[in-house]
Amino acid sequence: MMEDQEEKGNAENGIGRQKQVKDEYLLQFLDSLDGYLTLLDSLSSTLSQGWLELASARHAMGASRINGALLDLKVHAAATSLKVSEQDVDSMESQPCFTLCKWASSDNGERSSGEEKSLSPQLRHRNNSQLSEEKVSTRTGTPLILVDQQRQKSLSVFGVLVSPKLRSAQLSFERALETLVEIANLHTTMLSMFEQVHKELENTNG
Amino acid sequence: MANRPQIRTAASALIAMIADEYASSVSRTMQQPYMFDHLLMQVHCWDTVVGFLLAGVGNVDLRRKTNYLIVDSKTTIKQIEDAFKEFTSREDIAIVLISQYVANRIRFLVDSHNKPIPAILEIPSKDHPYDPAQDSVLSRVKNLVSVESVASDRR
Repeated sequence: MMEDQEEKGNAENGIGRQKQVKDEYLLQFLDSLDGYLTLLDSLSSTLSQGWLELASARHAMGASRINGALLDLKVHAAATSLKVSEQDVDSMESQPCFTLCKWASSDNGERSSGEEKSLSPQLRHRNNSQLSEEKVSTRTGTPLILVDQQRQKSLSVFGVLVSPKLRSAQLSFERALETLVEIANLHTTMLSMFEQVHKELENTNG
Repeated sequence: MANRPQIRTAASALIAMIADEYASSVSRTMQQPYMFDHLLMQVHCWDTVVGFLLAGVGNVDLRRKTNYLIVDSKTTIKQIEDAFKEFTSREDIAIVLISQYVANRIRFLVDSHNKPIPAILEIPSKDHPYDPAQDSVLSRVKNLVSVESVASDRR
């Protein structure tokens, strides 16, 4: 009798733990989905700001100075790139983790430290991006002057003297890039959790 | 650990872009009585690509191939598909940004992409705001939820 009760208790505990795991996956999935939508909303605002600043710059400098014909088609490497690493979800699965490396390369092949930002999906604790940008530069010891040089080089496609609005647009699109990398990380988390939830649902139904 | 799918890691990967261009003929025919409207009318959607190029993501390789495509009225569906296939098969590209409006034109191809890298992110353009209902990932989730609720009702 005691043994039967003990077995029943163990079975109930097992079922309880399974339910807990399923609930955990579901919660993580819903959290990542919420974060994904919130960040997309933030991205839309940042892009709108960038477009408006670009339009203001075009108005100030003239349409002939800001148009597609000036796009740099000479061979050059991207100054802003991504680092892709593997992040363990559990013992059976891993997912890619994207880290933005801003202004980290130059045409002559030498790589400066640039600004490296690991943008894990911590929505509720985001700092002001400009303030955090300065902090990162200080923390990694990257001379801000190198970053400024890279920024200036990017702006030089549109001439030496550019409107302050064009510089603002550049910063807005940099912020949009940071948001996009966060979105990419949440995107992979969401897909991973979605697969887990789907698997659990199939196991329950099966 | 033996059967874990391999993730392609990279120390330096690119961001590719496929964005749509606002038809310039429209801006010439609309009235522009106010300064603010004038500024807005002059914003073209290729501004998205220009903006990100200002942020330093532009790359031109030795074969003069870029990591972006600006889609205009003359761009065919085949050209968009070819660019998408090229960007998603390149080893050096980790994220592909595509305007949702352009993604809708090659929806089948976008939805059939199921690799973790490159990550396909649908972004808004100036004239076509982001619609979650059309997002590839979110519609997949929505389909699963509706299928499961139908299946559970039947049980």
